[in-house]
Amino acid sequence: MTEFQERSFAQSWYNLRYVIYGITALMLALAHVIMLNLISVSGITPDLLTILVVWIALREGQFTGIIAGFLCGLLFDLVSYDVIGTNALAKTFAGFIAGFFYKEKNNEYTLGSLYFILAILASSFVHNLIYFFFYIRPTEMTFWNFFFRYGIASTLYTTVAALFPMLVKSRNVQN
Amino acid sequence: MQRLLEFIFRFREYSALSAFTIISLIMMNLGNTTDLGGYRSIVVGGIGWMQSAFSWIPNPIALKNENAALRELNLQLSDERAKIRQSIIENAKLRKLLEFKKSSGIPLISADIVGKTTTEARNYATINRGEDDGVDVGMPVVTDAGLVGLVVGTSDGYSVIRLLINRESRIAGKIQRSRIDGILIWDGEEALTMKNIPKSYDVQVGDEVITSSYSNRYPPNIKIGTVMETRDDGTSLFRKILVKPSVNFLTLEQVFVMKLLPNPQRILLERDNNKVGKPMIPQIKAR
Repeated sequence: MTEFQERSFAQSWYNLRYVIYGITALMLALAHVIMLNLISVSGITPDLLTILVVWIALREGQFTGIIAGFLCGLLFDLVSYDVIGTNALAKTFAGFIAGFFYKEKNNEYTLGSLYFILAILASSFVHNLIYFFFYIRPTEMTFWNFFFRYGIASTLYTTVAALFPMLVKSRNVQN
Repeated sequence: MQRLLEFIFRFREYSALSAFTIISLIMMNLGNTTDLGGYRSIVVGGIGWMQSAFSWIPNPIALKNENAALRELNLQLSDERAKIRQSIIENAKLRKLLEFKKSSGIPLISADIVGKTTTEARNYATINRGEDDGVDVGMPVVTDAGLVGLVVGTSDGYSVIRLLINRESRIAGKIQRSRIDGILIWDGEEALTMKNIPKSYDVQVGDEVITSSYSNRYPPNIKIGTVMETRDDGTSLFRKILVKPSVNFLTLEQVFVMKLLPNPQRILLERDNNKVGKPMIPQIKAR
């Protein structure tokens, strides 16, 4: 394969990245609903879609991160039995927060560093804060009680789960 | 107009955030989890099919829980076996004496759980029975241990059950021994909560809680759980009763859907009555 062919092949993959994000989001949303019970710890599961939203925000920038957050959240609302809009709002803010960690010239390095984990921690925290606030709104549950039980635990589990894509990316960048 | 567009473009991140926030809030106000009609019916069918396809994957944590629960159940059953023998003889005599009419059983549809979401307070289950089998929205779901929940969504071959431990559950319950009524809700904890029970009422730890005849959703006398704790609020005249559900939702595998729908005449009558400001059933606001 000539250098020109290699470059055009890479370019076409690059142009297709939004389609890949979309397919990945759909697969993660379905996996979350169907199979994530298998890795739940005391009812807590990592939020794979938030990891994807942060990934997109760190790679493409804050504006794309916000759009990705909204669309991923809406997708999850549709495949789960949540009130439509709850995840859309929470993940929009997750994308917004993650956007502050975006570094235009070093975006690939950012994804393979602890900076990515920090972005996940901050975004997931804000995501859960908003999600659980609206989730328990129609009930008599105490917000802080519920948030400390599920929100913090979910944030930490999501952060731990984000170590895997970070380590893979880190190895790729080094190579 | 040009300047407005320039402003929006310049602050496009904040503009997008504001726009999506407004759209999300509008959707939240329009949406309802119990409203599973239309497209959600397709989602129920699709997700149910996929959960069924992946149900062969073993879940070690669930198996461990199930093992522990079965051991405990085995122990209880051997203890109860002796008691039941005695009770059957006693019951037969009493029934004859009091000429009790044998209660007609409600038809049941057996179903397997093909998918469960019991994480982060999203407590629903999907079963492999749907409209084709006669399942309809609003039918109660039980096991031999007690009440499981209510059917909230159906497709041709699958249905979604809202479990008791769900933020939207409101069950009219009754303390079996002292006949005290109240509404059971789920606070996100391990147990269900019965609130606003006067301190003077006779409630003891270990009392069994059953469904009340005030409920227009569930038939009466189905076991809900057992009183595990009573909490007094020092300043209030009321106390909070914590009820441990009799069903273990972590190990739930087979259920029965009761072919029973709320009586529409009763619902209409109660709704009309509530509209003119005369609640028909004091204390109870059963859904």
